[in-house]
Order: sequence, then C-alpha cells, then structure tokens
Amino acid sequence: MLNILLVDDDIEFSDVICHIVEFLGHNIQTATSLKEAHQWFENNSFDHVLLDFMLPDGSGLHLLDHLKMIGQSPKVTLISGHPSVKGILANMCEPNVTHLLKPLQREDLELVLNGPKKTVKKAKKNAITHHFDTLIGESEAMQKLYTMIERVAKTQANVMLVGESGAGKEVVAQAIHNASQCEGPLVASNCGALSKELIGSELFGHEKGAFTGAIARKEGVFEQANDGTLFLDEITEMPIGMQPNLLRVLETKKVTRVGGNREIPTNCRVISATNRSLIDLAQNNILREDIYFRLAVFPIDIPPLRERKDDIPLLAKVFLEQLNDENGTAFSWRSEQLKELQTYEWPGNVRELRHAIHRAFIMSDPQTSDVALPDNLESPFSRVNNQTQENQVSAGQTIEEVEKELIHATLDKVQGNKTLAAQMLGISTKTLYNRLNAYGGIGEYK
Amino acid sequence: MTLPKQTKPLNELVHDARAPLNRISMNAELIKLVLENDMPVEKALAALDKIIVNCQACSDSLQLISDSK
Repeated sequence: MLNILLVDDDIEFSDVICHIVEFLGHNIQTATSLKEAHQWFENNSFDHVLLDFMLPDGSGLHLLDHLKMIGQSPKVTLISGHPSVKGILANMCEPNVTHLLKPLQREDLELVLNGPKKTVKKAKKNAITHHFDTLIGESEAMQKLYTMIERVAKTQANVMLVGESGAGKEVVAQAIHNASQCEGPLVASNCGALSKELIGSELFGHEKGAFTGAIARKEGVFEQANDGTLFLDEITEMPIGMQPNLLRVLETKKVTRVGGNREIPTNCRVISATNRSLIDLAQNNILREDIYFRLAVFPIDIPPLRERKDDIPLLAKVFLEQLNDENGTAFSWRSEQLKELQTYEWPGNVRELRHAIHRAFIMSDPQTSDVALPDNLESPFSRVNNQTQENQVSAGQTIEEVEKELIHATLDKVQGNKTLAAQMLGISTKTLYNRLNAYGGIGEYK
Repeated sequence: MTLPKQTKPLNELVHDARAPLNRISMNAELIKLVLENDMPVEKALAALDKIIVNCQACSDSLQLISDSK
C-alpha cells in the first residue's frame, strides 16, 4: 500500500482518481494547488505524487524543486494533457519522475503505481527451472550433467565440453561459470573464427607496435578473463602450430603479449569446447596429447537433444515465452504440438529446435494464440545430414553389405520402383531381382 | 443560444475543452471498475450522470473555440 498525494486543481477529476486509486489499494490525499501540496509535505511524507503540470499558482515542476529543497524524494508522475511535457522530462534526466498523458486510463495508473504486472508472468516462468540460471531440462541426462557441473564448479579444474553442434556448449560454459561464483567475467572466444595470424593476439594480447596495425596495446582473452572463466569454443580448430603457446600458458599460468617481454600472471578456469568426439581427437591428431590433458582435466559430454526428448516441451515453452515477451504476443502451445515436436530427432539439437520455433512464431497468425507449426520440421541441413549419415560407409563392412545398403537406399528413394532403381544403380532389373533374392528375398519391396 | 465572443487564447480554450474530456474518461474507467467488481450500481449511475454533464461542458467549450475564430 502506497501513500499518494494527488495535486490537481480539477476537483471532479481528482475525486474520480481517488476512487480508482483507493480501489487499487492505496491511500490518497489531494491538493488543488502548489501551496496546499507544500502544506501536506510539512508534516507528512508520501511514496508517490501524482502531479498536474499546470496549477493555479505555478507549474508542477516547482513542486519538484521544493521536494529537493526539503530533502524528500517520492516517485513523481507528472500528468499533463500535452505530449511535449514528456520531452521536457526526458531532458531533466530525473530517474524518479515519470509522465502520464491525459486522458488517463486505469491501466496507466496501475502501471505507474504498482509497476509492471510481474506476478503472473513470473509464476509462469518460475514453473520451469533455469538450472544455474541458464540450463533447462529435467531429464535423467540433464540431471547427470547438473551433478557434474556442481562438482567441477567447486574446483579450479579446466573443463572440456564435448557435444554435437547446437547442443548448448556455450550455455553449459555459462552454467559452470555461474556455479563457480568467481569474481571475474566469462570471456568467450571462438578459436575457429580467428585467422592463424590473429589468434596469438586474440589469446595473449599484443603490445603497441608489435606488428603492422597494432596501433595500441591490447589485452588478450586470458587477461580479460582474470579471476573468471575463459571459454574457448571450437578448440580443435586452433592451428596446431599455435598449440605449444597455449600449452605454455596453461602450464605456467602466465601470458606474454605478442611483441612483449613481460610475463603477466593469469588466473582463470579454461572451458574448451569441441563438436568432435574424443576418439576423433585421439585418432586424427587434431589436438596435441599434452594440450588435451591440460584442457580436459574434467571432460563433460553434453547429451544431444534426441537423448533427452522429455525436455523438448520445457524448451519449447521457454523459447515461445521469450518470443512472446519480445514481441508482446500471447501465443501458446497445444499439447499435441508439443508431442509432435518430440517425435522429431532434431539433428541440429537445441539450436535447431529454437530456430524451428522462431520460424513457426513468425508464420503464426497474430489474431489467434495458436503457433503455426510447419508440416515438416526438417531443416535443409538436417536433411543433408540425415542422408549422409544413412549412407555412411565404414571400414570393416563387406562389399556385399555395402551393396545391399545401396540397393535398399535406392529402392527407398524411388518408393520401391525396381525399374527406376535398376536404372539409377546402372544395372538391369533382372540383376536387381537376383541381388535382392541373394540378400534373402524381395521382402518389403514386392 | 449565442454565446458571447471569447478573448481567451486558443491554447487556454483547448485546455478548458480537455478538462471535461479527462473527467469523462476517468468516470468511464470508474464505471468499468464498478461493473467488473460487482460494486454498488449507484456509483456507476453517479459516474454516468457526470459523464453526461461533462459531455455538455465539452460541447460548450468546443463551441467557444469555434466562435473565437
């Protein structure tokens, strides 16, 4: 409940405002002039002043000066019938002063007195927990992830995040940073986005004049992340020639800027991330072994979305809520739509889900609250990925197995039309039948 | 009835015309409150009476503006 003073010379107008403000649960007093308002402030204090701009004995702005003089600082809402007053207030830069334009509406009064309606929205948002302020999901896979984040956050260990593209590696890095409660910032750098020439400067900084174009001294990300967290995304894309420099910093916890000769101590946790598997790293000599052991003191596998489909409705609700907040809309999911989202495999993971929801949001009719999900959720990338994954050949397969897979894939493509399939395969229809019989019969392609 | 010619500046005349409009608007808001919250109907009737009176006042003010040209 607020104590409010209404200063307005229109008694009938004030009378109605009093009814409405009292209904909103506040105490209200009235003054019809600056003089009366001054008298109220002699022995009282108010939380909020609703102040008419033009009063019989001066401008409402004079009351603002008076309040400063007597050392009172209630919130003030100037009420005027002229939009130009808003511009005057903007120039005053008074944080406590707002403006309402007559004719007033009840919602305007509620907004200035009670603030934005947070309660309902917050209750909705709070229903979905943001673990470590960032992560969404209650599935078993995510619970395991949360446990790992909690454990590693208590230490200073470097973490390597391994997960498919779009699985949320940067979000997990943010979660570890949040859980660590360290003093410094989270600084992110993408090793794959930097040229071979610039990566040293980006990571370790440079001195003025170190190279052409180095017009000023620059701190590297290791220095920027001091007492905090350094997130090195796509670590496996770092040129192998730069890796010894990185190793030295990780071992000594000191950086030397490019062109400099002074060692600067650094104190930050390094979280690195890659979308390659650990086996790939080891087999293909992508990351030096010594660097791997420094970076991956605590490796964390981030589960792909298809392994935690129970989380899809939660994620979908949160993404839609964000879009509603940004655009002032009120779209909502139907339960069958959430089930439909769960049926798809999401090869692009959470990023693809978010993109699909955004696309559907744009396509939705603002006259309704229904989201217009497309008939086919697949993105062009997921289609290509699916095809390449399905047609993958790996060492250890026999020629017969590969041939059988190829024939079946071709038949699937042409809906079982054997003449067409034979043409595509460059064999006769008879040969195709013979091969199918040799693999155990025509079966589903009859 | 012919109203006497006014000598007030235009911005003051507009201000005078806005005052009843503001009262009308707030009384309408009050009526909404009464209806939405099952409050005594007398309050709504009183507010409606005020709206009618202020409509007349607004009309008079607009006439003054017209006459002042």
